[in-house]
Amino acid sequence: MSRYPHLLSPLRVGPLTLKNRVVFSAHLTNYAEYGKPSEQHAAYYAARAAGGAGLIITEEHSTHVTDWPYEKLIHGFDPAVIPGYRRITDAVHAHGVPILAQLNHNGGQASSMFSRLPVWAPSPIADPLFREVPKALELHEIRDVVDGYALVAEHCVAGGFDGVELQCSHSSLVRGFLSPATNVRTDAYGGVLENRARLLFEIVAAVRSVLGPERALGVRLCGDELIEGGTTIEEAVAVARMVDATAQVDYINTSIGVATATLYMIEASMQVPPGYAMFIPSAIREAVSIPVIGVGRFKDPVQADRAIAAGQADLIGVVRGQIADPDFVRKARSGSAQDIRTCLSCNQECVGRMGLNRWLGCIENPRTGREAVVLPMPTRRAQRVLVVGGGPAGLQAAVTAAERGHRVTLLEKADRLGGQVPVAASVPSRAEFLDITRNLAAAAQRVGVDVKLQHEATADEITADAPDAVILATGAVPARPWWAGDLTQVVDVRDVLEGRASPRGRVLVVDELGFHQATSVAELLADRGCFVEVATPGMVVGQDLGITLDLETWNVKADAKGIAQLTDVVPMSATEGITLTLQHHPTGTDLTRTVDWVVCAVQQRADDALWQALKGSLFPVHRVGDCVAPRRAHAAVIEGHRAAVAL
Amino acid sequence: MLTESFTIGSRTAPSRALFGPHETNLGSGRALSDRHVAYYRERAAGGCGVLVVETASVHDSDWPYERAPLAADCGPGWTAIVEACSPALVLASLGHTGGQGSSAYSQQPLWAPSAVADAVSRELPMVMEDTEIAVLTAGFGTAARLAMASGCAGVEIEAGDRSVLRQFLSGITNQRADDYGTDKARLLREVIAAARAAVGDGLVALRLSCDELAPWAGITPEHALELVPTLDVDLLTVVRAGPYAGSAYRPDAHVPEGFNKALCASVKAVARCPVVLQGSVVSEAFASSALAEGGCDLVEMTRAQIAEPALLQKLRTGAAPRPCVLCNQGCRVRDARNPIVSCIGEPRSGHELSDALPVDGGSGEVLVVGGGPAGLECARVLALQGFSVEIREAAEILGGAVLDAALGAGRERLRALVAWLAAECDRLGVKVVLGHEVLAAELSSYSGRVVLATGASARDTGWVDARDALRGVLQDGPVLVHDPVGGPVGVSVAEKLAADGREVRIVTQDPIVGTLLSLTGDLADCNTRLQQLGVPRELKSLLRRASGGTAVLEDVWTGAQRTVPAAVVVDCGPRLPREELYETGMLRAGDCVAPRTILEAVLEGRRVALELGA
Repeated sequence: MSRYPHLLSPLRVGPLTLKNRVVFSAHLTNYAEYGKPSEQHAAYYAARAAGGAGLIITEEHSTHVTDWPYEKLIHGFDPAVIPGYRRITDAVHAHGVPILAQLNHNGGQASSMFSRLPVWAPSPIADPLFREVPKALELHEIRDVVDGYALVAEHCVAGGFDGVELQCSHSSLVRGFLSPATNVRTDAYGGVLENRARLLFEIVAAVRSVLGPERALGVRLCGDELIEGGTTIEEAVAVARMVDATAQVDYINTSIGVATATLYMIEASMQVPPGYAMFIPSAIREAVSIPVIGVGRFKDPVQADRAIAAGQADLIGVVRGQIADPDFVRKARSGSAQDIRTCLSCNQECVGRMGLNRWLGCIENPRTGREAVVLPMPTRRAQRVLVVGGGPAGLQAAVTAAERGHRVTLLEKADRLGGQVPVAASVPSRAEFLDITRNLAAAAQRVGVDVKLQHEATADEITADAPDAVILATGAVPARPWWAGDLTQVVDVRDVLEGRASPRGRVLVVDELGFHQATSVAELLADRGCFVEVATPGMVVGQDLGITLDLETWNVKADAKGIAQLTDVVPMSATEGITLTLQHHPTGTDLTRTVDWVVCAVQQRADDALWQALKGSLFPVHRVGDCVAPRRAHAAVIEGHRAAVAL
Repeated sequence: MLTESFTIGSRTAPSRALFGPHETNLGSGRALSDRHVAYYRERAAGGCGVLVVETASVHDSDWPYERAPLAADCGPGWTAIVEACSPALVLASLGHTGGQGSSAYSQQPLWAPSAVADAVSRELPMVMEDTEIAVLTAGFGTAARLAMASGCAGVEIEAGDRSVLRQFLSGITNQRADDYGTDKARLLREVIAAARAAVGDGLVALRLSCDELAPWAGITPEHALELVPTLDVDLLTVVRAGPYAGSAYRPDAHVPEGFNKALCASVKAVARCPVVLQGSVVSEAFASSALAEGGCDLVEMTRAQIAEPALLQKLRTGAAPRPCVLCNQGCRVRDARNPIVSCIGEPRSGHELSDALPVDGGSGEVLVVGGGPAGLECARVLALQGFSVEIREAAEILGGAVLDAALGAGRERLRALVAWLAAECDRLGVKVVLGHEVLAAELSSYSGRVVLATGASARDTGWVDARDALRGVLQDGPVLVHDPVGGPVGVSVAEKLAADGREVRIVTQDPIVGTLLSLTGDLADCNTRLQQLGVPRELKSLLRRASGGTAVLEDVWTGAQRTVPAAVVVDCGPRLPREELYETGMLRAGDCVAPRTILEAVLEGRRVALELGA
């Protein structure tokens, strides 16, 4: 008997039989090339199929030429996509896993930047993100929309998909029609729910007639738009009931929020509790007879299994979990769930790259987004590799090198692995960040890396040892800003988090990084009773938290904890007291703050002493991560991996 | 003088107008594409003298934006551009953006002289060691050889807006203790020498920041005057740009035309080669007088030639070129979304391979209802195609919503676009009836074809419409500008009212004002101007209601409410299409389809005209 009897049990969904309940649900990847699915798409989905996913649903395929909200969207309406579809479906079917295509028209949640055509929506109400007034659809255009879904369904059938899912949830024309917030029509498509849902049912009928009975049709609904005047759970359940009553739909998928208004609740970061959106499938499941998918921060098989056992959903969408580890299901099934490279919900390289029009990656899986790039064959001659430094860069280098057959020793001067990661994760709301090095440390043990803690490597020792290759991952050290002088109560974030300083009273956090460093320490100190203000030269405190969808929760928490925020200021001097003079650079005026402590979240200095001592040695010396230039964790992982592959 | 030929070293440019290097996002992968070729071909055919192709990275450690050309991939593209662009001199721009680049595409550390993070990206670069410096210098040489083998007249070395060479020249970014730090120009000289060795009798041009606008440590004009005479180059484009200079390199219309003129003249006085004046030069009048005054030898008119590909040809024949209005709305495409370079007045720019040109052969009468940008462009293109066209406009003047937008602070130049459209319509014989509000009954009795371009109207908010506020129709008392859009309108209304001496504040749901202005480069600048004007920015706030001299604002995150003084609320929100005359199947364009920007109005006005002519 499996440890996950509910999660790993098969389920019939319309004409399909799924081997388990884990769905790799639809999500953007930016892998499309000039409107067509790429080889990377096929390799990406195939990796998750090989890893045992029960069902794969691709990212959205646009159903009409008026829908082009971002550059790398698959133009499903163009028959030229069919060979790319076939490449995906063949690659996935090779592993015996069914795959559906998601069809969508983003409606008013778009701009004309790429299409050079008016945006289509039920009513001329501008989207909160794109802010372009759409053209209210005329009746003949509604027919075009329905025809577009049918056309793309035909392409999907020709391309070998096992069915399609209609995106009617967080970014879609159909949701736009369903929602009283965006549909103020007075014709047969506006007003009462039956009218607002009319487009959905016309599409369902048209698509089902294309699919026939052998292929599956799903509908993804938004359970709560989280916007003023929008759809809430009661109406979502009513729509689900109507969908079920058509007897033409095989399952219902769910989501929460509106992508262009409340994205931070759709792809929630670690600031939002796991399972936060399960009230939606729970409510819908009670009202319908077809299977229901629940989503939202499912990180491990236990949690997913319990949700199914509790009747919250029939299937669980595990997206980021399988982005981080394609073998999520295989490892769960084989009894090695502890080996799953669990997702952090950090959103840095997956969600964070999507809004920036970059390919989807993963902070802890350097192969995500690069599945189609074949790695060179592992070496035949095992080398003796010495890795110095046990942060994410060194750990990743060690793990990859050992996986590729090398004999690896890792020296870490501290008494624990992880480098700066355990420090960053010591703030309660950032605890899940620890998984990156916890996963890596477990992997290092698994693949036989010889880890020596409390071992500070010296150049002489390494030279004497003369390994076949050295990878330096010695990290970074705090750098004192020029204005700090020798004031003892001006300290670095790391001084606080590593316990060397315990600020009390009034604290000014000076943030030049715009990421979690400043906001984390601000929260921590406010929780300890300090009166905290965060000052930044930027226009916004924690600017890059916007990319990871943490800016909203930061602002809410900052307000609740009484943390003040000060923007557009540059420190000019600090005197005993401590009185800090800041220049407000837009106006050139000076202002002062008198505080008990100043905590600096500023750029660090690369610890490259060993590099300087060893470069030019007879044996190859590589350096990776912060000791090259102090940056974020993804750079450390990518560089560690790359250096090890290149050995 | 502008239209006359000019000899640079061994080569002769057919005019003194230069088309400078700029991001287009027309690339295919990191190569130059057919779209590039078509884009440059039109400017060369229009009489451009020196055409500098989009900057190519000399080494794959530099990948500053997704479609940034890579020199190693540019050979065939340079060849095709050279073949398409005779007799213009084609220079290959070669660069490396160093610490101002992006690691997002290369996933490698950025290269820079010192460990100084870029002010915008905040990403810390790696310090270049001798190995990287040698690779970089060799990269310039290799790229220059390829450019020459591809038929280019020479190369332009990028040491201006985003450049590792400028970063080496500047005390802000170069804090090295080695020879490259004590002699900050050393790398530039080595790179010039490498290029010189590679180009043979070809040209080595340089685009040089002569003012970083950061005098405490950056490159100053004084530094530049010392440096320039020591440089072995054939052509020098004088620019201002630096790590804290933001939009200064190619600002929008908030900065006057030709802002570098004095700087350029002072550099020319010491230069050993011809000098190019860069910086928002868009009019023939300014360019010609700058040349006549002798402070420059050529004039960069990049945006003027994006707006009017046939700029020099038109000036030669006495025709009026379509004006660039320095809005930066369509042509400034340094944006992660990879928008295609284009122009609000000439939307075919960047789309030369897909957008048709007007063809003669139209006949019959067409009535265009509405004389804003959509109606004017439609009428102009219809008339070009041989139609007999009449515009009926409700107002007493042509121009539509643009006239009001142009009342906003810093937006005065917009008027030039509709004035040009109106003059072209006049020249082409379009009949114009002003002060005539067309009614449905009138249309039903009209026998010819009809195009609606009736624009938009204000939402029914109960507040003062932005257009009325711009016209000066505003009661006394404190003003609250409500800007849920974050485009140019709200900011320009607030600035104008503040400049008029009104007490103004601006409210937005966003954490900063003018979020959509990231595309035009005015985002940081507009927030700075508002703060300098003393306009309080009510950020992260929703306007809930206003009455009795106060408005109630609500924090978007916490829901906490507060009141601010507001005798008047000016609404700068989205507008509604005017559809009174519309019946299914009628032709229409611009805001009456969906209220958007001038770009869409002109694009759709033209599209409808071409559709009728097809």
